[in-house]
Amino acid sequence: MNNYYTESKIYTVSKINKYIKNLFENDYNLQDIWILGEISNFKLHSSGHMYFVLKDKESQIRCVMFRGNNYSLRFAPGDGMKVKVRGDVSVYEKRGEYQLYVKEIVEAGKGELYLAFERLKLKLKEEGLFSEEIKKKLPLIPKNIAVITSSTGAAIRDIITISLRRFPNLSILVVPSLVQGVSAAQDIAKKIDFLNKHLKDLDFIIIGRGGGSLEELWPFNEEILARSIYNSKIPIVSAVGHETDFTISDFVADLRAPTPSAAAEMTIPDKNSLINNLTLLKSKITRAAKRNFELKTENINSLCRSLKYQGPENKINQYYQYIDEFSARLNSRIKHQIELYEERVKKDVQRLDSLSPWAVIERGYSVCRKIPGKEIIKRLEQIEVGAKIEVIISDGRILSKIEKKEAVSN
Amino acid sequence: MKNKKKLEDIPFEEYLRKLEKIVQRLEEGELTLDESVKTYEEGMNISKICLEKLNETKKKIEQLVIEGEEKYSTKPFSEKKGENTINEF
Repeated sequence: MNNYYTESKIYTVSKINKYIKNLFENDYNLQDIWILGEISNFKLHSSGHMYFVLKDKESQIRCVMFRGNNYSLRFAPGDGMKVKVRGDVSVYEKRGEYQLYVKEIVEAGKGELYLAFERLKLKLKEEGLFSEEIKKKLPLIPKNIAVITSSTGAAIRDIITISLRRFPNLSILVVPSLVQGVSAAQDIAKKIDFLNKHLKDLDFIIIGRGGGSLEELWPFNEEILARSIYNSKIPIVSAVGHETDFTISDFVADLRAPTPSAAAEMTIPDKNSLINNLTLLKSKITRAAKRNFELKTENINSLCRSLKYQGPENKINQYYQYIDEFSARLNSRIKHQIELYEERVKKDVQRLDSLSPWAVIERGYSVCRKIPGKEIIKRLEQIEVGAKIEVIISDGRILSKIEKKEAVSN
Repeated sequence: MKNKKKLEDIPFEEYLRKLEKIVQRLEEGELTLDESVKTYEEGMNISKICLEKLNETKKKIEQLVIEGEEKYSTKPFSEKKGENTINEF
């Protein structure tokens, strides 16, 4: 028995599983491969991971698609669905089971188209057809627009209705074209070329159609149409299907609208709000200009006021007033002075009057003076008996001779 | 003539930008009286042009009929269902 194995050749279960897993993962034939089959026993776990079995008539393989990979699925997988899945075959060590770790699922019927789409998308992207810098700007106010679509579909009705509602005086040129089937892409491309050649003054062209299956939308994924959009001098708006549908046209076009209705909403301005805006701007201009004018007027007025205040007229008036005041003061001063003088003179005269000898004489006194000499006689010794004197009285004088001198004893 | 053609070539949005600039300049209030009168008149003129531009197109819904590589005509578009005109080159 001992001959059959040695200690070193005994594996643990996990070791052997790890070893097998390694074998799988190092085999490039098992990595990133596409497998065609039918989904069965599909389970979406609450964790978000998907578990199912992929089978054909003879065989089956376990599959797991983790949440991180399945959130971008464009459809809900289910039992019985024929699909193509892409992934790596590897080992789930815990159970020792190999399974497919799925990265991508494509509905089998659409698989070819999907791959073609991805290939073309990559190719055109690398050529620079999607580059943002080459995208043309649409005018704010389109005058003439063209719509290349089916003349009987809902798309053209929606576009016309919405466009006219937003801008009632718009010129729309409907260019009927195929929008599905094998020759549709070429038809649309030719019409874009035709418009570029003969109707150069178009503001832009909307190409599109309403929603449909991937096959129905396919013309908008074809290279011939992509090239024609790229070469168009007239801006192109791509409006294909529903919000979730992305086509090559969408990437090449100057503007992508999620739906035909949205194309009209996005490209045709609302005339009423434009007019409202204009009215608003106009009233702003009027108000601002009026205010400017008022400010200027107020400036002038205040300048005039200060000019008047500082000008010569004011100065002169001030001087006039000063002079007036001054002369009035002068007048009253002089008048006062004169009154004072008058008063003094009056007093003086009165005093003088009271001192005047004449006043005494008036009262009956008299003055005796020597002749000659006119010396006033105040004492007896001044005079001799027999001398002549004059006696002055109020109304004249009396010549007298001294008869006798008699002293008064007191 | 030349001038008129040029006027038509200036797109609406450019006039709108001019108008907004005029509002701004007037509201800043740093213009002389002469300038503000001129600016005001210019603003009124431009807003008139803008309005004219909004009204200059006529409503027209037509359908293109391609009659060969170089020839085409137009006819009124009718939205009637079933009138399926697919033009082949």
